[in-house]
Amino acid sequence: MPASTRDRQFLDPAVVARLGTLELKARTVVEGFISGLHRSPFKGFSVEFAEYRQYIHGDDLSTIDWKVFARSDRYYVKKFEEETNLNCQLMIDVSGSMAYGSVGITKFEYAACLAASLGYLMNRQRDGVGLTAFDDRVVAALPASTRPGHMRHLLITLNRLVPGSRTDVSKPLHQLASSMNRRGMVVLISDLLDDPEAIIRGLKHFQYRGSDVLVFHILDPDELEFPFDRTTRFEDLETSEEVMAVPGLVRSHYLRQISGLIERYRRELGAAGIDYQLLSTKQPLEMALLAYLSTRSRTA
Amino acid sequence: MTFLSPLFLVGAAAAVVPIVLHLLRRRPEQRVRFAAVMFLRTAPVEHTSRRRLREWLLLTLRVTALVLLALAFARPFLRTASAGAIGTTVVLLDTSFSMSAPGRFDRAKSLAKDAVRNATSGYDVALVTFSDQAAVVVRPTPDRGAVAAAIDAAASGFGATRYRAGLNAAGSLVAGLRCVIVVVTDLQESGWDAGEHASVPAGTRVEIRDVGALPENLAITSLRVDSDRVIATIRNSGSRGHQVRARLRIAGKQAAEASVTVEARGSADAVFSDIGARVTVPATDGGAAAVTIDDPAGIQADNVRYALISSATTRPSVLVATTSGDLAREAFYLEQALAAGQSGRNAPDVTGVSAAKLSAWTREQVARHAVVVLLSTRGLEPRGRETLASYVAAGGGLLVAAGPDVDGDVVADVLGAGARLQIVADTGGARVDRSRAAVSWTLAPADLRHPIFRAFGAEVASLGLVTFRTAARISGSACQTLARFTSGDAALIDCTAGDGHAIVLASDLDNRWNDFPLRSSFVPLVHEMVRYLSTPGDRAAEYVVGDVPAGVPPVPGVVAAPSPRGANVRSRKVVVNVDSRESDPSRISPDEFQAVVTQLRDGAAQARAGVAAQESTQEIWPFLIGLMIAILAVEGIVAARSA
Repeated sequence: MPASTRDRQFLDPAVVARLGTLELKARTVVEGFISGLHRSPFKGFSVEFAEYRQYIHGDDLSTIDWKVFARSDRYYVKKFEEETNLNCQLMIDVSGSMAYGSVGITKFEYAACLAASLGYLMNRQRDGVGLTAFDDRVVAALPASTRPGHMRHLLITLNRLVPGSRTDVSKPLHQLASSMNRRGMVVLISDLLDDPEAIIRGLKHFQYRGSDVLVFHILDPDELEFPFDRTTRFEDLETSEEVMAVPGLVRSHYLRQISGLIERYRRELGAAGIDYQLLSTKQPLEMALLAYLSTRSRTA
Repeated sequence: MTFLSPLFLVGAAAAVVPIVLHLLRRRPEQRVRFAAVMFLRTAPVEHTSRRRLREWLLLTLRVTALVLLALAFARPFLRTASAGAIGTTVVLLDTSFSMSAPGRFDRAKSLAKDAVRNATSGYDVALVTFSDQAAVVVRPTPDRGAVAAAIDAAASGFGATRYRAGLNAAGSLVAGLRCVIVVVTDLQESGWDAGEHASVPAGTRVEIRDVGALPENLAITSLRVDSDRVIATIRNSGSRGHQVRARLRIAGKQAAEASVTVEARGSADAVFSDIGARVTVPATDGGAAAVTIDDPAGIQADNVRYALISSATTRPSVLVATTSGDLAREAFYLEQALAAGQSGRNAPDVTGVSAAKLSAWTREQVARHAVVVLLSTRGLEPRGRETLASYVAAGGGLLVAAGPDVDGDVVADVLGAGARLQIVADTGGARVDRSRAAVSWTLAPADLRHPIFRAFGAEVASLGLVTFRTAARISGSACQTLARFTSGDAALIDCTAGDGHAIVLASDLDNRWNDFPLRSSFVPLVHEMVRYLSTPGDRAAEYVVGDVPAGVPPVPGVVAAPSPRGANVRSRKVVVNVDSRESDPSRISPDEFQAVVTQLRDGAAQARAGVAAQESTQEIWPFLIGLMIAILAVEGIVAARSA
């Protein structure tokens, strides 16, 4: 199936961004996503029995209840109530650079939607979910929990976030890594426009602490394609530094630089066993959920 | 560097267009708040200063291209010495005596030097001084220092202002396509005669540098000798009256003084009476009178005036040439008229001679007489004609009555080719205008200002009572018509021949073709004609500076004028005065001055052709076009990189 056709089955992030509350956005994304996963192998990872369901092609053979098969001569798989033992910490970058957006949604809004959706999905699966927002310091922290009402707190916290000042990803990464005392999963949502060396080192710190790491690299299409044509005075969102550039002259250099950065993250994080997912704000959020579930399945 | 078609340089104003567009199209740069500026920082970013430099470079290239296009159309070329000047500034400096008031000519020189200093770059500069005559002091030269030095050396003279002379001289110096004539003058109205115009070559611009109005001035405008009196007319052009003391000198000696009050902007006569009792006038040659006044603040040259005083003992000697020499029979009326009304002391000495005998006379014999009356040419041989011609040319007076005994060809021989006199009469029956015999005409003066009519005054109409039954047809190119018949033909003409004059009457003086001798106007007219012809003072003994004959310096005073006919003819004494019109303070405006100056069409055509030829040999414009194309190519490249 061509990617474009497949993408049309998902919600446009710009459309999602226009929905009312963050909770509604997350529910819309996740419910739609889950219904799309009707025949997918990702069913959740609970241990308490919930129901039987007729086996369909692609189900994990280990979930087939052979006793029922012996009785009925049909394949049924056992569905279990979720009983998570995974804490997931969502780390969302709220630095100034995340405020950029060119397709009706900023990187920050995209990241917030993504965090909310992930949180909603995790909460549905009984995984403990926490939130840490940071720019050059931690600006909001919500420990992972599965308690009732926690999701609401998480969404309220997300809702109150606004893009802040300069980015220093590595510092909060190290802070959080040092504070994590049990194995879990860390999801970093950031544009990663910082020193890649420090960021990678910080992410490896989580691995050292025994956590799985999933990185969502959020970039705007403008940042990926540099489509400007007129002579433009570019002002840095974080430092207010101004650079006058003739796009025709700098485009190739810029694209080389941004591609180099992406490639470096992909290569070095991959080598470190860290899942890396590049997301354009044009791409549906469901793509991120798929990536999460992929990582989650390996974790489980 | 100069241009064949400088008007195209106006097209260079189009260079403003890209500048205006540049300013109008200067939209503010697009500003984008961007996250990934960190990657632009290391890119070959065009910083604002470089961008601005590029824009200025583009603007400069575009403006330069347009200017080059305009320059190419203007057809520039380098002026070379061999090709002469492209333009000339001629400084026309008024040196008339009206500039002789204190400080006045210094101001004129200052204005002239300013004009030299401010002359257009690349123009040659020339200096012409003018009054009655114009003099080219410095021909067109790039050496402006030489012109300034010549201006410093210039001085006001005694001539009157004649703008036309100056403009003609300046126009003759025009070289190149353009000429500027800077007239430094006091704009006296008298510098133009009524209806007079001056022409300058096409493309010549006349500029006026006004020295200013005349100061308050006292001037002797005329000096007359009337019998025993000398009368000086003094004019006051000032705004307040003056008590003027006039001094008379005769033959270099103080003769008398007179005091006269001259009202503001008025005139008064200073009369010196009983001159004969006060001084002894030289018996043979008369004397010269000079009247002077004091006017330190005004024009200096018009503070003195000269006049000749005829000798009281001189009796005019009249030689009457008839066919036989018998005056009683052939010139009775004339003889009686000459003798009438004269005291014994002043009565003319009348001598009769036959034309044939006159042919044998020497020049000296004829020259003893003040006037020769030619009533007959019968028997006047060529030698006699030559003698009479020499006599007239040397200043003698000749009265010709073109009666039945006068041959026009003979008279033409006497008066010379310049007179070209034709007398057509019924003498001999050969050239008679018979149609005239059937009618009669009367006489009407044509120029009442002539001295021979002066004595008539209001009675000049009495000449109209004379009835002419037969008349000759007279004409002459160098002759002034003094009176005409009622038919319109000339009746009395005054012809100039050398230094002398001849009055020709188109009829006789002996009651044969007319009844003139029987009329009361006969005697006074004969007397006035003889007086006019015998008195050099009335004829050609007084000159103004601008009209002096050859050999007479154009300086006020009394001088002995050499005879142009040779050393064997004695010189005569003449006086030279300044032209009193120059003392008239009336002025014209610069616009009025410009209005009477017209431009000739063909004046600069030759110079223009020469300049065009010079331009065509150099042909700089194709290179300018090529350079413009190259600049436009560079502009295109730079513009593409700035998109």
